[in-house]
Amino acid sequence: MFSQLILSGIAQGAIYALVALSMTVVYRATTIVNFGHGDMVMAGAFIAYLFVVLLGLPFLPAAFVAVVLLFILGVAIQRGLIEPIKAGPHIGFAMMSIAVGYVLRGIARAGWGREVLPMPRVFDIPPIFVGDLILTGDSLVVIGVVATFLTAFFVVFHRTRIGQVIQAVYQSERGAALIGINVRAFHCMMWGIGVAMAAIAGVLLAPITLLYPDLGANFLIRGFAAMTLGGFGSLGGAIAGGILLGVAEQLLGFYVSTKLIDIAAYLVIISVLILRPVGLFGKAAIVRV
Amino acid sequence: MTLRILFNRGLAALAMILLASPASADTTTGITDTTIKIGIPGPFTGNASSYSKAEIGLDAYYKWVNDQGGVHGRKFVTVLEDYACAEAKGIAAAKKLIYQDQVFMLHGNSCSAVAVAMKPTVVEAGVPWVVAHAVNDKISSPPTKNIFHGVPVGSTYGLAMAKFVLSKPDTKTVAIIQHSNDWANSYCIPAKEYMAKQGIKPAVETTFERGQTDSTPQVLQIRQAKPDFVIACLYEAETAIFFNDMRKYGVNVPVMGTAGTDLENTLKRVGDLETVKSYFVPHNYVDNTEGPRMKKWNDIILKYYPQETITGFSAISIGSAVAVIEVLKRVGRDLTREKFLAEMDKVRDFDTGILAGKINWSATDRDGVKEAAVAGFVNGKPTVLKSWGKPLFERP
Repeated sequence: MFSQLILSGIAQGAIYALVALSMTVVYRATTIVNFGHGDMVMAGAFIAYLFVVLLGLPFLPAAFVAVVLLFILGVAIQRGLIEPIKAGPHIGFAMMSIAVGYVLRGIARAGWGREVLPMPRVFDIPPIFVGDLILTGDSLVVIGVVATFLTAFFVVFHRTRIGQVIQAVYQSERGAALIGINVRAFHCMMWGIGVAMAAIAGVLLAPITLLYPDLGANFLIRGFAAMTLGGFGSLGGAIAGGILLGVAEQLLGFYVSTKLIDIAAYLVIISVLILRPVGLFGKAAIVRV
Repeated sequence: MTLRILFNRGLAALAMILLASPASADTTTGITDTTIKIGIPGPFTGNASSYSKAEIGLDAYYKWVNDQGGVHGRKFVTVLEDYACAEAKGIAAAKKLIYQDQVFMLHGNSCSAVAVAMKPTVVEAGVPWVVAHAVNDKISSPPTKNIFHGVPVGSTYGLAMAKFVLSKPDTKTVAIIQHSNDWANSYCIPAKEYMAKQGIKPAVETTFERGQTDSTPQVLQIRQAKPDFVIACLYEAETAIFFNDMRKYGVNVPVMGTAGTDLENTLKRVGDLETVKSYFVPHNYVDNTEGPRMKKWNDIILKYYPQETITGFSAISIGSAVAVIEVLKRVGRDLTREKFLAEMDKVRDFDTGILAGKINWSATDRDGVKEAAVAGFVNGKPTVLKSWGKPLFERP
C-alpha cells in the first residue's frame, strides 16, 4: 500500500510541481507573485475542453492551442497590464494578478457557470497490476509528460544559450541590459512561458478531473505550498516541493486522516516558514551594508 | 451646522433605520393588487450549480401558474438570486431579497450549509420560507414560525439509504465516504444509526472534502476494507471524482449516494455506464424521472426553459410549489403573511401529484415529506426501486 500511495502521490505532486515551477519562473524573472496563477491553470483546462468538446479537435492539437493561447495571454499581461504600473508600488502587481485571475474566473463562470464539466477520457489506459501495485493510466501519463517537460526545461535552462541569457537576467537585470539583452522582452517571454506552463498543468488536469470555474484556487495554494517547501525562487525546489507535497497528502490521508488532505498544503506552509523559512533548496538572502 | 440641526438629522436617520428594520416589515410586503413577489435563492453559479436546476424548475412552475391565470387575480413575479453555494453569499442573497427586493416569501434553496447559514436572517425577518431542495434537518427543526421543509430532510433520506443498502442480500460490511460538513452528516449519521441498530458498524469511515480533485487515499482505504456496499455522502463533483478513482483502482462495489446527486448527471460526468451501473440515489417522485407521470412537470420546465436538460433535480422543488399555490388559494384574495403562515400549518396529507410522499405541515412539525424511495440503473435506465433488485413500477 505504501508504494501505491507514493506512486499516486508522485502523479498528483507532478501537477503541483508544474504549477509551482511556472509560478517560480514568473517570480524569478519579475519578482511578481502571480496570485492569479491558479485561474490560469483553470483557463488552460477550459480552453482545451472548449476545443475538444465544442469544436471537435483531437486532444493533442487542442492542448497545443491552449498552451499557445495562454502563452500569448502571459505576454499580453506583462505588456498591457504589468508594464504600465511598474513605477507604482509592488503591491500593485499582486493586486493586478488577483484581478486578472478573477476576470478569467468570471469569464469561465459566464460561459459555464451552472456546469461541472467532464472532459472525455484521453488517457483511457486500463490499470496495470504489478503485484499489489496498480499503475493507473492517468498516473503514467501525467508523470511521463511532466518528467519529459521538466527534463526539456532544465536542459534548455542549463545547457543552451537561451538558458544562459535567462540565468544572466535572473542574476542581474542591470548587468544583462548592459550587455545588450532586451530585459523588457525577457519579462514578456517569462510571463508567456510561466502562463503557458500553467496551461500545460491545466490540460493535464482536464481529462483526469472535472472542470469548473473555481478549479484554480486549489492549485494556487498547493503551488504556493510547493514553492515554500522547495524554497521560494528555487526552480528545482519547486519541483521537489510539489512532489513532496503530493506524496505527503496521500500518506497523511491514508495513514493519519483523510481530513488532513485538505489542510496539508497549509500545514506545509506554516511548518516550513517556522522551521526553515528558506525551504529545502532556498538560500538565505545576505544583505551587505 | 448647529447642534439642533445635527440632532434632527440624526433622529431622522434613526427613524429611517427603524422603518427599514425587520420588526416593522409589513405583512403585505411583496403583494400588490396584481402580483405576488417570490424570492428564489439558488446556486446558479459555482461547482454546485447543477443543483440550481431545482430553482429553474420552480421558476418555470410559477411562470406556468401565471399562464393559467395566477391565483386570485395575482400573478407571480419571481426574483432569482445567486449564492454560488457559498454561505456568506447566501446570507447576502437572503438580505437582498428580503430588504431590497421586498419579496412576499422565499422559496427554493439548494445547498444545506447555505440554508442553515441563512436561517437566522430569515427567522429574524419573519418572511415565509419554503425550503424546496436543501435537506439538513436543522433548517426546519426545531420548528420556527416561518420555515417549512418541502422535501424530505436528511434523516428521512439517511434512513431510506440505509434500508436500501441492507436490502441487498448478505450485506455485512459497509464503508462510508463523506464530506465533513453538516450536509453530509445529515444523511450519513441517520444511516449509520439505523445500521448500528441492525448490528452493522462501518468497516471504514473516510472523509473526502469539497473541492478536492483526487480521492486516491480514500479509494485505497475502501479497497483494503473490501466492503459489500459504500455509502457516499458527497456532492456531485466529488461523487464523479470518487467513481473515476474507483474505476482507476479497479474497485467495483455498489455505492449508495445522497439526494444531492442524481443518476443522470453522475453518468454524464463519469462518462460510462459500466462505472456507475451500481450507483443508487434517493428518489422523490411518483415515477421515474422520465416516466409518464412526470411528463407534465418536465414539459412545464421545458416550455419556459427549452435549453434545460431534465435531471433528477429538475422537478424536486415543484412539489412544494404546488402546495404553496394550494395554500394561497385557500387564503383567498385578502392575503397577508400571517394568514399564509397560518394556512400552511393546516396542510395535511397533501398529494402534490409529483412527490412520492404527501406533505404535512403543522406548528410542531415542519418536515413536510417523510417518504423517499431509491433509484438506480436498470438496463441502463434510471429506475425507481423499492428494494435491491426490485423496481417499484413494473413496465414493459
